[in-house]
Amino acid sequence: MLPDFRLVRPTTLEEALAQIGEDALPYAGGTELFIAMRGRLLQPGTLVDLKRVRGLADIRVDDGWLVVGAAATHDAVAGSEAVREHAPLLADVAPGVGNPRVRAAGTVGGNLCFAEPKSDVVTALVALGAELTLASAEGTRTVPAAEFHRGPYWTVREDRELLTEIRIPPAPDRRGVYVKFQTRERPTVGVALVTDGGSGACRLVVGAVGEVPVSLEFPSLGAVDPAAAAEAVDPVADLTESVEYKRHVTAVMAARAKERLEEAVAGAR
Amino acid sequence: MHASRVRGTVNGVAVDRDVPNRLTLAEFLRDELGLTGTKVSCELEVCGVCTVLVDGRPVSACTFLAVDIDGADVLTVEGLERDGELHPVQEAFIDEFAFQCGYCTPGFLMMSVALLARNPAPSADEIKEYLDGNICRCTGYRPIVQAVLTAAERLRAGAASGTEEARDAREAREASDAG
Repeated sequence: MLPDFRLVRPTTLEEALAQIGEDALPYAGGTELFIAMRGRLLQPGTLVDLKRVRGLADIRVDDGWLVVGAAATHDAVAGSEAVREHAPLLADVAPGVGNPRVRAAGTVGGNLCFAEPKSDVVTALVALGAELTLASAEGTRTVPAAEFHRGPYWTVREDRELLTEIRIPPAPDRRGVYVKFQTRERPTVGVALVTDGGSGACRLVVGAVGEVPVSLEFPSLGAVDPAAAAEAVDPVADLTESVEYKRHVTAVMAARAKERLEEAVAGAR
Repeated sequence: MHASRVRGTVNGVAVDRDVPNRLTLAEFLRDELGLTGTKVSCELEVCGVCTVLVDGRPVSACTFLAVDIDGADVLTVEGLERDGELHPVQEAFIDEFAFQCGYCTPGFLMMSVALLARNPAPSADEIKEYLDGNICRCTGYRPIVQAVLTAAERLRAGAASGTEEARDAREAREASDAG
């Protein structure tokens, strides 16, 4: 049984921000939070239900930027025309998150804020150069997705802040692929590779193997170096395998990502 | 203990009562409504035995607040049969021997119903992918996949020719099986 808590259900962002604090945690899907609460890892006095906050689950395009509301579910992202058009990489990643029940209830914002080190979504968003909007009663600030996670289950979000939006910059010729290796509930390694299409420069992001995603930049797709990726990661040995194995699989998955992106780019010509 | 008002339906029956905030949907269904068809096992959203549909979406009732069904329609395994007739997915699970101990079955049934609602003609691979988050430890998965294929086929036939004819076809098949 869960520990007891007070429940508030704001309908506006202002009301939500007035409630959120050290002992009043925001929640939407609860797919991670209730597991932590059942284990008494978290025992908040109050939960602030975000599902009734107007606009917080909206997905829209704003001056070319794709804006995903933090309370949008993985299912909503997977089925969104706007996501498919402006950030197909994210649309490809969403249907592979967890299982259909997690995708029906779990949200993109919750995924980011819980900071599970094996999140597919985080890896993809770092590769896409996403920016995250954090709001509080005092104002808002923007944090690059690449700087949001400080460690496992630990982000730069302050207790009184709420992640409201994930903003993905426009790049009409951008192409990306996500490749992961997974035999259990969570991936051993997830690799996102994105080229902006203009200069041909590439960003390779490796997630799941270590505490936070590792990002590498290459001047061209041809220069993408899987061995460099294997060298750069800082794997943690766990149920999904040893440090040595994770390094090895990182190189294999990075090579596959490169191959797949080369095919995608060639197919587009 | 803190509580909140819940107004919704469970298997078409109206619910309007104060529910403790801390209660999971699985606890509410089993302990307060007596609907013990919904099982609980891993409590980590991994095994799928607690699957119920909330407004048609499959959720893990073990990790879903009962108060979050406020304003929603909930469907559990008890709500699948109609007028004493099992749901075609249930019939197919019986016909294909898709369960043994039966503990995982309510979850597989609810997931299958959710899948067929969004995809009436899934391939075997699509079924495997959708049921990836459900675990069976005795029968094995092949008969389960086959049951969903069979159910999909019968449901499509039923939709194409009207439910009366589908029922006749089933009765004819049962008669020939018995013979």
